[in-house]
Amino acid sequence: MATTTSATPPPLPSAGGTLCEVRGVGQDFILPNGKPLRVLDGINLVIRPNEIVTLLGPSGCGKSTVLRIVAGLIRPSQGEVLYHAQPLVGLNPGAALVFQSFALYPWMTVTENIETVLRAAGLPQDETHQQAEAAIRLIGLAGFESAYPRELSGGMKQRVGMARALSVKPEILLLDEPFSQIDALTAESLRAEIIDIWAAKDRHPSAILMVSHDIKEVAYMADRIVILSTNPGRVQTVVDNGLPRPRDYRMPEFLRLVDHLHDLITGHEMPDLPPAAARLPRAMEPLPEATSGEVVGLLEYLDARGGQEEISRIAGDTRQEFGRIINVAEAAELLDLVDTPKRMVVLEPDGQRLVKAPPAARPALWRGQILKLNLFRMVHEALQRAPRHQVDRDFVLETIVIHMPQENYERIFQTLIGWARYGDLWSYDEASETLRLE
Amino acid sequence: MATARADLRTAWGHAVALLDRTRRAGWVDLVVIGGLGAMVFALVSLAGRWSTELRPTVEIDLSPWALPQYTFYSVSRGLLAYGCSLVFTLVYGYWAAKDALAERVLIPVLDVLQSIPVLGFMPGLVLALIALFPRSNVGLELVAIIMIFTGQAWNMTFSFYHSVRSVPQDQCEVATVYRFSWWQRLRWVELPFATMGLVWNSMMSMAGGWFFLMICEAFRLGDRDFRLPGLGAYMSVAVEQGDYAAMLWAIAAMTLAIVALDQLLWRPVVVWAQKFRVEEGGSQEVMSSWVLDWLRRSWLLAAVGGVLRRLAALEAGRPRAPARPRPGRPRLAAVARTLSLAAFAVLCLAIVYGVCRLVVLLGDVSLAEWVGLVTAAVLTLLRVLVAVVLGTLWTLPAGLAIGLSPRLSRIFQPVVQVVASFPAPMLFPLVIAALHAAGISLGWGSIALMLLGTQWYVLFNVIAGAMAIPADLREAADSYRISGWRRFRVLHLPAVFPYLVTGWVTATGGAWNASIVAEYVTFRGEVLEANGLGQQISAAAAAEPVRYHLLAASILLMATMVVVFNRTVWRRCYRLAEERFSLNK
Repeated sequence: MATTTSATPPPLPSAGGTLCEVRGVGQDFILPNGKPLRVLDGINLVIRPNEIVTLLGPSGCGKSTVLRIVAGLIRPSQGEVLYHAQPLVGLNPGAALVFQSFALYPWMTVTENIETVLRAAGLPQDETHQQAEAAIRLIGLAGFESAYPRELSGGMKQRVGMARALSVKPEILLLDEPFSQIDALTAESLRAEIIDIWAAKDRHPSAILMVSHDIKEVAYMADRIVILSTNPGRVQTVVDNGLPRPRDYRMPEFLRLVDHLHDLITGHEMPDLPPAAARLPRAMEPLPEATSGEVVGLLEYLDARGGQEEISRIAGDTRQEFGRIINVAEAAELLDLVDTPKRMVVLEPDGQRLVKAPPAARPALWRGQILKLNLFRMVHEALQRAPRHQVDRDFVLETIVIHMPQENYERIFQTLIGWARYGDLWSYDEASETLRLE
Repeated sequence: MATARADLRTAWGHAVALLDRTRRAGWVDLVVIGGLGAMVFALVSLAGRWSTELRPTVEIDLSPWALPQYTFYSVSRGLLAYGCSLVFTLVYGYWAAKDALAERVLIPVLDVLQSIPVLGFMPGLVLALIALFPRSNVGLELVAIIMIFTGQAWNMTFSFYHSVRSVPQDQCEVATVYRFSWWQRLRWVELPFATMGLVWNSMMSMAGGWFFLMICEAFRLGDRDFRLPGLGAYMSVAVEQGDYAAMLWAIAAMTLAIVALDQLLWRPVVVWAQKFRVEEGGSQEVMSSWVLDWLRRSWLLAAVGGVLRRLAALEAGRPRAPARPRPGRPRLAAVARTLSLAAFAVLCLAIVYGVCRLVVLLGDVSLAEWVGLVTAAVLTLLRVLVAVVLGTLWTLPAGLAIGLSPRLSRIFQPVVQVVASFPAPMLFPLVIAALHAAGISLGWGSIALMLLGTQWYVLFNVIAGAMAIPADLREAADSYRISGWRRFRVLHLPAVFPYLVTGWVTATGGAWNASIVAEYVTFRGEVLEANGLGQQISAAAAAEPVRYHLLAASILLMATMVVVFNRTVWRRCYRLAEERFSLNK
């Protein structure tokens, strides 16, 4: 971080035009049972001066973890981060982080929230005032200086978060889904403002690294889009976005890019293979994180639109996160209720039957579908064999761990119980942690 | 033209505000100066009292005119002890929260300290400190302060520790990313986050402290008199002489002191602490304090504050090196680490030594004595449970009635707060006299004494729980015509259950402690006893010479009973409350 303002070029000459580089970074989390769970694997990423890079991917793919590794908050289990060609030890000296949840101190006014970080940086009093005031003016917070965060709307809070980050004049601005908890209109204006601030080249920041799950937002803001896949998080593809700025959401090139990104994500998450062939080699299917209510809701939605719809349209109509909709579609596909050719989701005959059935008849049909899955069949057979037709939770968890060691077994168990309850297949008693045949 | 007039109006407005301000400021400042003067005078006289010679018996003047002085002595002891508790809380809580190694010992130690009936230590402490300061009052005063401290510190420390540990992740990350030093992190993040919990626990602690203060001030061991001039001693002398007017005066003075502390100290602090509220949304009722409003008008305080701020700004204005990792840093961290380790080692040694001494002491307890103690423990447990059940039986309906009616709660909540803070031991002599007259033995009577101090915790919590029942649940019950007993069973009881459990835990803790003074009482020169663990403790301490082995055994037994009961019964209740009856999910 530069200590004084200047119109001169960046103080540190960067090696080969690279500001920051992530090299072969992997991250393990230790599960409660002591086993490591791999969340990131072999991540490579380059951030150059004067560019906006975004990480795009479904929730749970570790995008925020990558951001925190770049910030120096988390030390990666493998690999390293280079800043100006030097290995990063501890915090990244040129980075400032903006949080999804704003992370403002509720007991400090807007000004105090900003001045606090400047004082922590060791600035003398008068410079603290000056820089805080400059940041407040820059981000359009004038008039709100003495307000407490609880008096502000979400959009205003995030403005404070931005002003706080910009006040320390970072070289890299790290944005962690900064617009996802703000109303759509405010988010729109904030996006444009951030780009304006970044585009004024004499100012900081030089580069922005943003995490997002919103495809349109990414297409609007980024120079480069890094698409991550889940379980474990890996770089799937990198898409260069050379569209001229200012960008227009209605430009044909823009729409083409959005479609292309959709295809990349859905193509990877939902491969176009014949269902039987896709399932045969795997003994056990990881259950996507979706509730039975969501799956049936998707069927109802499709039924009301003639039996098929484009996936991005579904996400827009239902105001759901794209990754969540993909999960639901995957779950429905796993149960043979829908098919997903390309970007479309199409009702299958079984799905048609379920959605046309009266509510009382649906559980039986659902039961039939879930019992086609190996995991359900295996647990069901165990229940039929067991004395008094009951098994305990640990038995099921073990089954999941043995067959799918890479997966988050707690989450799969939750989904398993939810689906089985809707199908009136088994009952689960939370106090004694036992499953019982209905 | 219009703008000129508007300008004039604002200027006029400013002038009026200034005029208004100075005029009011005069009065407020006079009072502030007067208050400061009184405080200085009081402190000087207090210091004088501490250094006066120790007299075997205390002469208490029963005239009402002597009461302000006694009240002042009592209150100053309470406040001094509170200051100690606060310092202890900050140091111990911070240490436990920051040092993972020390935490593993510090927190269990705190848990044990919390369960030990501290009153059992009082006789030993009195004798030891008198021996240490044979010529002055310092020993006795210290006993009072230590006893109050032990009644105040633990819950405050737990609250602070939990707050520091539960600062939200993103707020911690902000502090890390922007390189706050440990001091900045403490001052800007951790202390503000902990303030609300600390303030509420301080209020509760202060109320609990009065209980111990009254016992200390009226303490006699066998035929030796260790009374300290204060409200407790005043009351006990008044009871001795059968002076009913003086008793009423003492009760009035205590009530007044509690109300005054609430209005002058706690209320302003609570209102000020609203700033540190963490939850969002302004739907909560805005609290106000006339004292705080009034102090904020003081010109003098504003001026002093301004000067202090300017001094701080001067200090901060000096350019400092940024708090970045520097070569000098690791050494400082290493020193802190070594210091923490050394303190930890000393603590562990002290614990080991204490345990060894205890084991040696317990070797003297014969099997027959153990049997007697266990029987006594069962008796006391039964009394404690009966007291809690009796307390619940009336406080549950009463608390629901008060909490569910905004009008009643407005009237009764402050009253209950004062009554709950009122130290029950002050009323013990009166109740014992009544029981004596009615011919009720202390075996049953001690239940009444326990009830006197502990039922308020339950009442207080039930009121809070009833007030927290969400309006939509009540409307749902209304619209489906659920009323009477069914309404109590499906709505009121489940909704207040978590609060009820909190009340029960506090009440049983209080009842165990109260058993020490309730099962063994000195009344008009004769000793009344009811077989129980509390009586065993008091009797062992009052014996001449003190029977230390029995004292240790009975205290240990009581602490074990409390811990076992907490671990088995209350923990299960808590879990039930959290999993089934929590309204936060």
